[in-house]
Amino acid sequence: MVLGVASRLLELPFIDRAQSVRAMARYPDRAWPDFPLFLQGVREHTKPGDTIAVIVPAMNWDGGYSYAYYRASYFLTGREVLPLVTADNARVQKNFLAAKYIAVFGVGLRVPADIVWREGRGALLRLRQR
Amino acid sequence: MTATLVAILSLAVLGIPIALAVDRRARGPLLIGTAFLYGSGTMYFVLLTLSIAHIRWTLISVTIASLIVFCVAALIARRQSDDVASQQTKLHLLDLVTLFTIVCYTLYATLAPLWEWDFWAIWGLKARTFLEIDGIDWRFLESRWNTFTHPDYPLLVPLNYDFVALLNGGWSDRWMGLTCVAWAVALALVARSLAARETTPFFAALLAMLVAALGFSRYVGLAEGALIAFGGAGVLFVRAALLDDDDVSWRHAALMLGFAANCKNEGLALLVAVTIAVVATSWSRAPVRLRKLAPAYLLAAPWLILRAAHTLPTDIVEGSAISRLLVRLPHAHQILMFLAEELTKPWFWIAILIGILLAPARRRERFTYLVTAIQCVFYVAVYFITPNGLRWHVLSSWPRLTAQIAVPITFAVFLMLANSLLAEEDAPHAEAGFDEY
Repeated sequence: MVLGVASRLLELPFIDRAQSVRAMARYPDRAWPDFPLFLQGVREHTKPGDTIAVIVPAMNWDGGYSYAYYRASYFLTGREVLPLVTADNARVQKNFLAAKYIAVFGVGLRVPADIVWREGRGALLRLRQR
Repeated sequence: MTATLVAILSLAVLGIPIALAVDRRARGPLLIGTAFLYGSGTMYFVLLTLSIAHIRWTLISVTIASLIVFCVAALIARRQSDDVASQQTKLHLLDLVTLFTIVCYTLYATLAPLWEWDFWAIWGLKARTFLEIDGIDWRFLESRWNTFTHPDYPLLVPLNYDFVALLNGGWSDRWMGLTCVAWAVALALVARSLAARETTPFFAALLAMLVAALGFSRYVGLAEGALIAFGGAGVLFVRAALLDDDDVSWRHAALMLGFAANCKNEGLALLVAVTIAVVATSWSRAPVRLRKLAPAYLLAAPWLILRAAHTLPTDIVEGSAISRLLVRLPHAHQILMFLAEELTKPWFWIAILIGILLAPARRRERFTYLVTAIQCVFYVAVYFITPNGLRWHVLSSWPRLTAQIAVPITFAVFLMLANSLLAEEDAPHAEAGFDEY
């Protein structure tokens, strides 16, 4: 019974864990491995209390937006991350207008905005008409 | 890693006088195991109290508050009589195997920064958010956009992470998995010590190994590890209290169950399940025994009051729970079949069931069986009223829930079987308390 519960654990000291370490480190962001780095950049270019909305290629809740929103909330603590899509896939336009910054990752956005910071596949925008 | 290790050690040291105030006889595994659990639970209340008092969490404020608790507990412990015989646990070679499994779990829990979705969407997110303002961010919890974090969940685990982060001088989730190891080890030590009172060192060591394995939550970073530890220890202490009618075990039980209620809502349900089981198994003495459980409710109360005061929503009761129940009741057999199909480690549960049927002295363990059964009923009842998709809810929670209740029932069944293999004189307490219920 003990072995049944913990058999896979018992192998850990005897295997090359480097592969497991890499796999587990990538696991949360396996779809977009560069997303955490982008969020880290957004964090460095914003201040506590700022409101930020996130735009990603998947603007469907279960199709990837929930991941992006939750992950952004985790990396951008202290700021207020506003969702642009709800769990039932309704768009929340007012959050787009209310956010001080728009963090855009993996897509282009054609709106009048100033680019605050840009790197890799992402950019931090500040909308012009306030 | 150093900061996390120092945090774990600090919690254990903070808990030592508390454990001794509860049980002056505690030594060895029991003292170490309960000390860490009390330290962890106390740190939650220290940070909660500071936050309510609008005192910012800093290393200094937390240290001063902890020292006050430490000194008060030490004074209480010193006042207690010294002439009680201390409890010694004889070690066995098998304990080395348990130690090896702990090393294995430590390697697993620290493979990478905590990777579980629910860590960075619930438990870790809250801890990291609170750390930003050095206190509980009620505005964050009350925000309609943050209902995904389950704002109603109690905060023992996030606030323990905050303590680690305070010692670390900032947020880092790289080594926080070590706290899950510490909770599992603490439970194994408690189980080892309690088992040693009832069986031989060999079987006690074997059981501790099993309990350790069951306490190794694969959901590292979530509150499961803490809940399994506090809840498991709480139920085991109630069991011991019922068998020996021992006030010390009642005190341990009440405190552990109170802390379990501050880990997750399932911990609160466990407290209710234990209360019902105590009443059902000792009807004539129930009022006296329920009074002994009162501290658990006192510990659970602050969070319940705070979450009501801040109107933090509970997702499972939103909308009309009754109408969802009525819609699903006609499909009860399908739902139960689905739960049976999705049972993780079915052979483990079949072994437990066979053990219950085979073992003599089943009556002796009826409290543990009843608690497990009632808690299962609570779990299943939630599936009947959940506003989430039933299939998704079951798949995402059922393996975790069944893991939460595995330790006490395994402990009881194992001891029954082990003691039935031993001659009566080799099995201390084997039948003690049989009629005491």
